[in-house]
Amino acid sequence: MVKLILEIKGLSKAFGGLVALKDLDISVNEGEIVGLIGPNGSGKTTLFNLISGVLKPDKGEIKFNGKKITDLKPHEVCQRGIARTFQLTKPFFHMTVMQNVMVARMHGSDPVRDWKEAERECERILELIGLGGKNSWIVATFGLVDRKRLEVAKALATKPRLLLLDEMMSGLTPPEMEDAIQLVRTIGSSGITLIIVEHVMKAILEISSRLIVISYGEKIAEGTPQEVIHNQKVIEAYLGE
Amino acid sequence: MYITLSQSWNIIGGYTGQQNLGHAAFFGLGALSTRYIWLSGIPLPLAFIAGALVATIFGTLIGFPAFRLKGIYFVIGTLVLAEILRIIFDTLLPRAMVLPSKLLANYSLIPRYYVSLVIAILSIATVYVIGRSRLGLEMISIREDEEAAEALGVNTQKYKLVAFLISTFMAGLAGGIYAYYSSAAQPGYLFESVWTFDAVIIVFVGGVGTIIGPIVGSVFFVLLQRLLSLYLPGGIHVAVFGALFIIVVLFLPGGLIELMTKLRKKIPKREWSS
Repeated sequence: MVKLILEIKGLSKAFGGLVALKDLDISVNEGEIVGLIGPNGSGKTTLFNLISGVLKPDKGEIKFNGKKITDLKPHEVCQRGIARTFQLTKPFFHMTVMQNVMVARMHGSDPVRDWKEAERECERILELIGLGGKNSWIVATFGLVDRKRLEVAKALATKPRLLLLDEMMSGLTPPEMEDAIQLVRTIGSSGITLIIVEHVMKAILEISSRLIVISYGEKIAEGTPQEVIHNQKVIEAYLGE
Repeated sequence: MYITLSQSWNIIGGYTGQQNLGHAAFFGLGALSTRYIWLSGIPLPLAFIAGALVATIFGTLIGFPAFRLKGIYFVIGTLVLAEILRIIFDTLLPRAMVLPSKLLANYSLIPRYYVSLVIAILSIATVYVIGRSRLGLEMISIREDEEAAEALGVNTQKYKLVAFLISTFMAGLAGGIYAYYSSAAQPGYLFESVWTFDAVIIVFVGGVGTIIGPIVGSVFFVLLQRLLSLYLPGGIHVAVFGALFIIVVLFLPGGLIELMTKLRKKIPKREWSS
């Protein structure tokens, strides 16, 4: 049976006079990989900020696992099992890679209190993510690709049930992107539900089981990747009429 | 005393990244309370703890509203707080508090030296343990990126407050040492912002967010302070420290610790907690 994991109803958010999201309804089932696309400024990142509790909606509500999370603080949302990555990566620069991930592992939805055990689990996550062997590196020395990897490793270390990935592919070379796509698949098959914001069309068409398109804060299309790219409204939103 | 004072600021300012400029408030409260409690006949160790607790309790009251402020507003808010206390105590209490003649007659520096040494060692040990604990990780993650820490499930408000309380307790202890050490003090002087800035300068000159930094900084600071006040007209040394502070921040952000590491020709990697 398909289980609803995230349910968004009538969500609206405006910044001053600028309407970022208008009456948005979205539902996501457990185990899905949902691609969220839309032109620049269409409200994708705002939506992530609302789900993760960084912003409060003006109207509407968000339910996770059947429970309302709209009024929770970001750390509480994370403890319920929603993790996110940031489009502009936010590493703890003057800490080692291991320490970065340890912070996540010792908090999040299933915190490990025992130092040694947490370290072992972090090692496994870093290995999976392709940062194995760099545990004691100071993050300030990292390039873009490794920073993005670390961002995902930290999110995974909070043991999420739902993971929001914000433009993880941008700035990657094609082979790096292949790796990233593989990684997303691995995460998906481990039972974590994913919502992915992405501008790289090739990548998102390849990974998503379902696409949601928003434009000017409203949902304009939804369906399988094939349905969506042939949708007239979507073509207009991207290319103009 | 300077080691304790600067380590206490190091916890909140260096590790957690919350530049608290109201540190003098907690130093002053610790000093005043310890003094009164001690002089009322309570044994000295208890007086120290009581004084530090007064500072901590006040820290709790202040911490909740103060951490609603972020960045520069927090800095200004705490600075103003210390000034308010300074004016209040300057107005309310007698101008000078001299030790009773009986104690003054027996005044000796030696026990005072050992008491402050013990407390300094305890405070260093505290920072050492914190630096290697989960709390240390949490504090540094908040300094590095509060929003990211929050997104990983770290209750940043809570850990900032915890760091603040430890910090105020230690500042209260440092105040207690001063109360025990000085034969006479003006209540207002105990709350002078100079206590805050001495701590900040020591931490920065020594090395922010390191455990050895404040120790090196304190030794350096006290030596230089004595030297300067010998050869320069009164008060000028404060200006020298101000200039020194600017130089360190601009050219040596890691403080003397960084300088020593560089001189040893090691990789200029900044340690986060050693």
